[in-house]
Amino acid sequence: MKSKVKRWLEEGIVDLFLGYKMVMGHPLPYSFNKANLDAVDELIDGPARYSLEKVATHIAAVDPDIKIGMLARDCNQRALNVLYIWNQLKEDNIKAVNVNCCPSNLKAHGDCSYLAPEKPAPLKQQVGVDNTLCPEDFEEMEQPECLSRWMNEFQKCIKCYGCRNICPVCFCKECSLEHGDLIGKGALPPEVPIFHLVRATHMAGRCIDCGLCEDACPVDIPLRLLYRKVNDIVKTVFDYETGSGADQSPLSILGDKVTLEPQPMQTNPPAV
Amino acid sequence: MTVKRVTFLQELLSFMGLGGRLHLEWISSAEAQKFVQVITDFTEKIRSLGPNPLIGASGARLLDAPYLKTVKPHNTLLKPPDSAGIAEEATHEIKSETVA
Repeated sequence: MKSKVKRWLEEGIVDLFLGYKMVMGHPLPYSFNKANLDAVDELIDGPARYSLEKVATHIAAVDPDIKIGMLARDCNQRALNVLYIWNQLKEDNIKAVNVNCCPSNLKAHGDCSYLAPEKPAPLKQQVGVDNTLCPEDFEEMEQPECLSRWMNEFQKCIKCYGCRNICPVCFCKECSLEHGDLIGKGALPPEVPIFHLVRATHMAGRCIDCGLCEDACPVDIPLRLLYRKVNDIVKTVFDYETGSGADQSPLSILGDKVTLEPQPMQTNPPAV
Repeated sequence: MTVKRVTFLQELLSFMGLGGRLHLEWISSAEAQKFVQVITDFTEKIRSLGPNPLIGASGARLLDAPYLKTVKPHNTLLKPPDSAGIAEEATHEIKSETVA
Protein backbone atom coordinates (compact mmCIF):
# COMPACT_ATOMS: atom_id res chain seq x y z
CA MET A 1 0.00 0.00 0.00
CA LYS A 2 2.76 2.42 0.96
CA SER A 3 4.75 1.80 -2.23
CA LYS A 4 1.58 2.30 -4.28
CA VAL A 5 0.88 5.59 -2.56
CA LYS A 6 4.49 6.69 -3.10
CA ARG A 7 4.29 5.80 -6.77
CA TRP A 8 1.02 7.71 -7.15
CA LEU A 9 2.53 10.79 -5.56
CA GLU A 10 5.78 10.55 -7.55
CA GLU A 11 4.06 10.07 -10.88
CA GLY A 12 1.60 12.85 -10.16
CA ILE A 13 -1.42 10.59 -10.38
CA VAL A 14 -2.51 12.29 -7.19
CA ASP A 15 -1.39 15.61 -5.73
CA LEU A 16 -2.38 14.74 -2.19
CA PHE A 17 -3.03 11.53 -0.36
CA LEU A 18 -5.32 11.48 2.64
CA GLY A 19 -4.64 8.76 5.17
CA TYR A 20 -3.81 8.27 8.81
CA LYS A 21 -0.57 8.81 10.65
CA MET A 22 0.28 7.95 14.22
CA VAL A 23 0.78 11.18 16.17
CA MET A 24 1.56 10.92 19.89
CA GLY A 25 0.00 7.47 19.96
CA HIS A 26 -3.18 8.52 18.18
CA PRO A 27 -4.01 7.69 14.58
CA LEU A 28 -4.87 11.08 13.09
CA PRO A 29 -5.91 12.07 9.56
CA TYR A 30 -2.92 13.27 7.60
CA SER A 31 -2.38 14.66 4.14
CA PHE A 32 0.68 13.15 2.44
CA ASN A 33 2.27 14.98 -0.49
CA LYS A 34 5.10 14.74 -2.96
CA ALA A 35 7.33 17.20 -1.11
CA ASN A 36 7.60 14.87 1.85
CA LEU A 37 7.61 11.35 0.47
CA ASP A 38 9.34 9.87 3.50
CA ALA A 39 6.26 10.60 5.58
CA VAL A 40 4.41 7.97 3.56
CA ASP A 41 6.29 5.32 5.52
CA GLU A 42 4.24 6.34 8.50
CA LEU A 43 0.94 5.82 6.69
CA ILE A 44 -1.24 3.41 8.62
CA ASP A 45 -4.66 1.85 8.31
CA GLY A 46 -6.64 0.03 10.93
CA PRO A 47 -9.73 0.60 13.03
CA ALA A 48 -9.27 4.40 13.05
CA ARG A 49 -11.74 6.20 10.87
CA TYR A 50 -12.57 9.76 10.06
CA SER A 51 -14.51 11.36 7.25
CA LEU A 52 -11.52 11.80 4.94
CA GLU A 53 -13.89 12.56 2.07
CA LYS A 54 -15.05 15.57 4.05
CA VAL A 55 -11.47 16.83 4.14
CA ALA A 56 -11.31 16.15 0.40
CA THR A 57 -14.51 18.16 -0.10
CA HIS A 58 -13.04 21.13 1.75
CA ILE A 59 -9.82 20.94 -0.28
CA ALA A 60 -11.73 20.59 -3.55
CA ALA A 61 -13.84 23.62 -2.65
CA VAL A 62 -10.66 25.73 -2.65
CA ASP A 63 -8.89 24.01 -5.53
CA PRO A 64 -11.42 22.22 -7.77
CA ASP A 65 -8.83 20.64 -10.06
CA ILE A 66 -6.60 19.09 -7.43
CA LYS A 67 -6.26 15.30 -7.61
CA ILE A 68 -6.79 13.61 -4.29
CA GLY A 69 -6.07 10.05 -3.25
CA MET A 70 -7.43 8.63 -0.06
CA LEU A 71 -7.93 5.52 2.00
CA ALA A 72 -11.49 4.33 1.62
CA ARG A 73 -13.52 1.89 3.64
CA ASP A 74 -16.92 0.80 2.41
CA CYS A 75 -18.57 3.71 4.22
CA ASN A 76 -16.07 6.18 2.71
CA GLN A 77 -16.83 4.74 -0.70
CA ARG A 78 -20.58 5.22 -0.20
CA ALA A 79 -19.96 8.76 1.00
CA LEU A 80 -17.86 9.45 -2.10
CA ASN A 81 -20.71 8.20 -4.29
CA VAL A 82 -23.09 10.58 -2.55
CA LEU A 83 -20.65 13.48 -2.87
CA TYR A 84 -20.23 12.82 -6.62
CA ILE A 85 -24.01 12.83 -7.02
CA TRP A 86 -24.34 16.10 -5.16
CA ASN A 87 -21.51 17.65 -7.23
CA GLN A 88 -19.20 18.19 -4.29
CA LEU A 89 -16.36 16.14 -5.72
CA LYS A 90 -15.41 15.13 -9.24
CA GLU A 91 -15.15 11.42 -9.70
CA ASP A 92 -12.16 11.80 -12.05
CA ASN A 93 -10.17 13.68 -9.43
CA ILE A 94 -10.50 11.13 -6.65
CA LYS A 95 -8.54 7.92 -6.42
CA ALA A 96 -9.35 5.62 -3.55
CA VAL A 97 -7.33 2.82 -1.99
CA ASN A 98 -9.76 0.33 -0.56
CA VAL A 99 -8.92 -0.89 2.92
CA ASN A 100 -10.39 -3.53 5.15
CA CYS A 101 -13.66 -2.54 6.73
CA CYS A 102 -16.77 -4.08 8.25
CA PRO A 103 -16.80 -7.87 8.66
CA SER A 104 -19.00 -9.81 6.27
CA ASN A 105 -19.68 -13.40 5.24
CA LEU A 106 -16.62 -13.36 3.05
CA LYS A 107 -14.22 -11.88 5.57
CA ALA A 108 -14.70 -12.45 9.26
CA HIS A 109 -12.16 -9.90 10.41
CA GLY A 110 -13.23 -6.27 10.34
CA ASP A 111 -11.36 -3.05 11.06
CA CYS A 112 -13.75 -0.46 12.36
CA SER A 113 -14.16 1.60 15.49
CA TYR A 114 -17.91 0.93 15.41
CA LEU A 115 -18.02 -2.84 15.46
CA ALA A 116 -19.87 -3.62 18.66
CA PRO A 117 -22.09 -0.91 20.13
CA GLU A 118 -22.15 -1.28 23.86
CA LYS A 119 -25.28 -2.35 25.66
CA PRO A 120 -26.37 0.81 27.47
CA ALA A 121 -26.92 1.14 31.20
CA PRO A 122 -30.23 -0.05 32.71
CA LEU A 123 -31.64 3.45 33.15
CA LYS A 124 -31.15 4.25 29.48
CA GLN A 125 -32.80 0.99 28.53
CA GLN A 126 -35.69 1.86 30.81
CA VAL A 127 -36.51 5.42 29.77
CA GLY A 128 -34.29 6.18 26.78
CA VAL A 129 -33.51 4.57 23.47
CA ASP A 130 -31.18 1.60 23.39
CA ASN A 131 -28.46 2.23 20.78
CA THR A 132 -28.47 -1.42 19.79
CA LEU A 133 -32.13 -1.47 18.72
CA CYS A 134 -33.32 -1.73 15.13
CA PRO A 135 -35.85 0.66 13.58
CA GLU A 136 -38.34 -2.22 13.44
CA ASP A 137 -38.34 -2.52 17.23
CA PHE A 138 -40.30 0.70 17.44
CA GLU A 139 -43.26 -0.63 15.51
CA GLU A 140 -44.55 -2.50 18.54
CA MET A 141 -44.21 0.55 20.76
CA GLU A 142 -47.09 2.90 21.53
CA GLN A 143 -46.72 6.40 20.08
CA PRO A 144 -46.47 8.23 23.44
CA GLU A 145 -43.80 5.80 24.57
CA CYS A 146 -41.76 6.37 21.39
CA LEU A 147 -42.00 10.10 21.86
CA SER A 148 -41.08 9.98 25.50
CA ARG A 149 -38.09 7.73 24.88
CA TRP A 150 -36.77 9.81 21.99
CA MET A 151 -37.31 13.07 23.85
CA ASN A 152 -35.37 11.68 26.80
CA GLU A 153 -32.50 11.11 24.41
CA PHE A 154 -32.80 14.42 22.56
CA GLN A 155 -33.02 16.53 25.70
CA LYS A 156 -29.47 15.50 26.57
CA CYS A 157 -28.22 17.36 23.49
CA ILE A 158 -25.63 20.03 24.24
CA LYS A 159 -25.78 21.46 20.71
CA CYS A 160 -22.12 20.83 20.06
CA TYR A 161 -22.77 20.28 16.33
CA GLY A 162 -20.47 17.27 16.53
CA CYS A 163 -22.84 15.12 14.49
CA ARG A 164 -22.96 17.69 11.72
CA ASN A 165 -19.27 18.51 11.76
CA ILE A 166 -18.13 14.91 11.48
CA CYS A 167 -20.76 13.98 8.89
CA PRO A 168 -19.08 13.14 5.56
CA VAL A 169 -22.13 14.16 3.55
CA CYS A 170 -22.90 17.46 5.31
CA PHE A 171 -21.50 20.09 2.97
CA CYS A 172 -23.92 23.04 2.90
CA LYS A 173 -22.34 26.46 3.25
CA GLU A 174 -25.26 27.72 5.28
CA CYS A 175 -26.66 25.29 7.78
CA SER A 176 -30.30 25.38 8.87
CA LEU A 177 -29.20 24.29 12.32
CA GLU A 178 -27.41 27.60 12.78
CA HIS A 179 -30.35 29.70 11.61
CA GLY A 180 -31.87 31.58 14.52
CA ASP A 181 -35.33 31.71 12.99
CA LEU A 182 -35.46 27.96 12.43
CA ILE A 183 -33.78 26.75 15.58
CA GLY A 184 -34.09 29.07 18.56
CA LYS A 185 -30.81 30.26 20.03
CA GLY A 186 -29.54 30.71 23.55
CA ALA A 187 -31.05 27.75 25.38
CA LEU A 188 -29.78 24.32 26.26
CA PRO A 189 -30.90 21.79 25.31
CA PRO A 190 -31.65 23.30 21.90
CA GLU A 191 -35.16 23.24 20.55
CA VAL A 192 -35.88 19.54 20.68
CA PRO A 193 -36.95 17.57 18.77
CA ILE A 194 -36.76 20.16 15.97
CA PHE A 195 -32.98 20.29 16.02
CA HIS A 196 -32.61 16.56 15.50
CA LEU A 197 -35.54 16.18 13.14
CA VAL A 198 -34.25 18.95 10.88
CA ARG A 199 -30.96 17.14 10.65
CA ALA A 200 -32.68 13.81 10.13
CA THR A 201 -34.77 15.28 7.32
CA HIS A 202 -31.70 16.68 5.63
CA MET A 203 -30.07 13.26 5.84
CA ALA A 204 -32.76 11.74 3.63
CA GLY A 205 -31.09 10.50 0.47
CA ARG A 206 -27.67 11.42 1.84
CA CYS A 207 -26.95 9.43 4.99
CA ILE A 208 -24.68 6.50 4.20
CA ASP A 209 -24.95 4.89 7.64
CA CYS A 210 -21.33 5.23 8.67
CA GLY A 211 -22.20 5.84 12.31
CA LEU A 212 -19.62 8.60 12.79
CA CYS A 213 -22.31 10.92 14.19
CA GLU A 214 -23.06 8.51 16.98
CA ASP A 215 -19.36 7.96 17.62
CA ALA A 216 -18.91 11.72 17.85
CA CYS A 217 -21.93 12.41 20.06
CA PRO A 218 -20.68 13.26 23.56
CA VAL A 219 -24.04 12.45 25.17
CA ASP A 220 -24.61 9.20 23.31
CA ILE A 221 -27.83 9.98 21.45
CA PRO A 222 -28.63 6.98 19.21
CA LEU A 223 -28.31 9.01 16.02
CA ARG A 224 -27.34 6.09 13.86
CA LEU A 225 -30.60 4.40 14.73
CA LEU A 226 -32.54 7.55 13.84
CA TYR A 227 -30.80 7.92 10.48
CA ARG A 228 -31.16 4.23 9.76
CA LYS A 229 -34.90 4.81 10.00
CA VAL A 230 -34.45 7.73 7.62
CA ASN A 231 -32.70 5.40 5.19
CA ASP A 232 -35.41 2.78 5.62
CA ILE A 233 -38.05 5.35 4.68
CA VAL A 234 -36.07 6.48 1.65
CA LYS A 235 -35.71 2.83 0.63
CA THR A 236 -39.35 1.83 1.10
CA VAL A 237 -41.01 5.02 -0.13
CA PHE A 238 -38.67 6.03 -2.95
CA ASP A 239 -36.83 2.74 -3.61
CA TYR A 240 -33.53 4.57 -3.39
CA GLU A 241 -30.46 2.97 -1.87
CA THR A 242 -28.30 5.83 -0.65
CA GLY A 243 -24.65 5.68 -1.64
CA SER A 244 -24.91 2.54 -3.73
CA GLY A 245 -24.83 4.05 -7.20
CA ALA A 246 -24.80 7.12 -9.34
CA ASP A 247 -28.55 7.76 -9.33
CA GLN A 248 -29.76 11.20 -8.31
CA SER A 249 -31.38 11.34 -4.87
CA PRO A 250 -35.19 11.42 -4.94
CA LEU A 251 -35.10 14.55 -2.80
CA SER A 252 -32.70 16.46 -5.00
CA ILE A 253 -34.27 19.45 -6.69
CA LEU A 254 -31.77 19.35 -9.51
CA GLY A 255 -33.26 17.85 -12.63
CA ASP A 256 -36.50 17.11 -10.82
CA LYS A 257 -39.00 15.41 -13.05
CA VAL A 258 -42.75 15.42 -12.56
CA THR A 259 -43.53 11.97 -11.29
CA LEU A 260 -47.24 12.39 -10.63
CA GLU A 261 -49.44 11.75 -13.64
CA PRO A 262 -52.11 14.40 -14.18
CA GLN A 263 -55.47 12.98 -13.19
CA PRO A 264 -59.04 14.11 -13.81
CA MET A 265 -60.76 15.80 -10.91
CA GLN A 266 -63.01 13.64 -8.76
CA THR A 267 -66.52 13.84 -10.14
CA ASN A 268 -68.50 12.23 -7.34
CA PRO A 269 -69.59 14.82 -4.76
CA PRO A 270 -68.12 14.39 -1.28
CA ALA A 271 -70.39 12.79 1.30
CA VAL A 272 -72.28 15.34 3.36
CA MET B 1 -41.21 17.55 -4.34
CA THR B 2 -43.71 18.58 -1.68
CA VAL B 3 -45.46 15.23 -1.74
CA LYS B 4 -42.13 13.47 -1.41
CA ARG B 5 -41.03 15.58 1.52
CA VAL B 6 -44.34 15.34 3.33
CA THR B 7 -44.55 11.57 2.85
CA PHE B 8 -41.06 11.27 4.26
CA LEU B 9 -41.84 13.52 7.20
CA GLN B 10 -45.05 11.66 8.02
CA GLU B 11 -43.09 8.43 8.30
CA LEU B 12 -40.37 10.04 10.38
CA LEU B 13 -42.84 11.68 12.75
CA SER B 14 -44.71 8.45 13.34
CA PHE B 15 -41.38 6.78 14.11
CA MET B 16 -40.75 9.51 16.68
CA GLY B 17 -44.19 9.11 18.22
CA LEU B 18 -45.96 12.06 16.62
CA GLY B 19 -47.76 10.11 13.92
CA GLY B 20 -50.95 11.27 12.23
CA ARG B 21 -50.45 14.95 12.93
CA LEU B 22 -49.38 15.94 9.44
CA HIS B 23 -51.67 15.95 6.43
CA LEU B 24 -51.22 17.14 2.88
CA GLU B 25 -54.00 17.79 0.41
CA TRP B 26 -54.29 19.71 -2.82
CA ILE B 27 -57.46 21.78 -2.91
CA SER B 28 -58.33 24.23 -5.63
CA SER B 29 -60.08 27.49 -4.89
CA ALA B 30 -63.10 26.05 -6.70
CA GLU B 31 -63.37 23.04 -4.40
CA ALA B 32 -65.03 24.59 -1.36
CA GLN B 33 -66.80 21.42 -0.32
CA LYS B 34 -63.62 19.39 -0.45
CA PHE B 35 -61.89 22.05 1.62
CA VAL B 36 -64.60 21.89 4.30
CA GLN B 37 -64.52 18.11 4.31
CA VAL B 38 -60.76 17.84 4.61
CA ILE B 39 -60.54 20.44 7.36
CA THR B 40 -63.41 18.88 9.32
CA ASP B 41 -61.98 15.39 9.09
CA PHE B 42 -58.52 16.46 10.04
CA THR B 43 -59.77 18.59 12.94
CA GLU B 44 -61.63 15.59 14.31
CA LYS B 45 -58.59 13.40 13.91
CA ILE B 46 -56.33 15.89 15.66
CA ARG B 47 -58.86 16.36 18.46
CA SER B 48 -58.99 12.62 19.06
CA LEU B 49 -55.19 12.54 19.22
CA GLY B 50 -55.23 15.13 21.99
CA PRO B 51 -53.16 18.28 22.51
CA ASN B 52 -49.64 18.59 21.17
CA PRO B 53 -47.40 16.72 23.60
CA LEU B 54 -44.49 19.01 22.76
CA ILE B 55 -46.06 22.16 24.19
CA GLY B 56 -43.62 23.64 26.64
CA ALA B 57 -40.85 21.47 25.30
CA SER B 58 -38.58 24.29 24.25
CA GLY B 59 -35.27 24.47 26.01
CA ALA B 60 -35.31 25.57 29.59
CA ARG B 61 -38.86 24.59 30.46
CA LEU B 62 -38.20 21.10 29.27
CA LEU B 63 -38.81 19.27 32.52
CA ASP B 64 -42.36 20.63 32.77
CA ALA B 65 -43.20 19.15 29.40
CA PRO B 66 -46.11 16.72 29.45
CA TYR B 67 -44.31 14.01 27.52
CA LEU B 68 -41.89 13.50 30.38
CA LYS B 69 -44.72 12.76 32.79
CA THR B 70 -45.03 9.30 31.36
CA VAL B 71 -41.60 8.34 32.61
CA LYS B 72 -39.57 9.53 35.53
CA PRO B 73 -37.02 12.23 34.65
CA HIS B 74 -33.80 10.29 34.64
CA ASN B 75 -31.24 12.99 35.06
CA THR B 76 -31.65 15.60 37.73
CA LEU B 77 -28.42 17.26 36.56
CA LEU B 78 -30.32 18.54 33.56
CA LYS B 79 -32.39 20.96 35.64
CA PRO B 80 -33.19 24.23 33.91
CA PRO B 81 -30.65 26.87 34.86
CA ASP B 82 -33.14 29.22 36.53
CA SER B 83 -33.05 30.57 40.05
CA ALA B 84 -35.42 27.96 41.43
CA GLY B 85 -33.68 26.08 44.18
CA ILE B 86 -34.11 22.85 45.99
CA ALA B 87 -37.79 23.46 46.70
CA GLU B 88 -38.73 23.23 43.04
CA GLU B 89 -36.53 20.24 42.56
CA ALA B 90 -38.45 18.54 45.33
CA THR B 91 -41.80 19.31 43.71
CA HIS B 92 -40.51 17.84 40.48
CA GLU B 93 -39.63 14.66 42.23
CA ILE B 94 -42.96 14.46 44.01
CA LYS B 95 -44.78 15.13 40.74
CA SER B 96 -42.91 12.46 38.90
CA GLU B 97 -43.39 9.95 41.67
CA THR B 98 -47.13 10.43 41.76
CA VAL B 99 -47.23 9.96 38.02
CA ALA B 100 -44.95 6.97 38.05
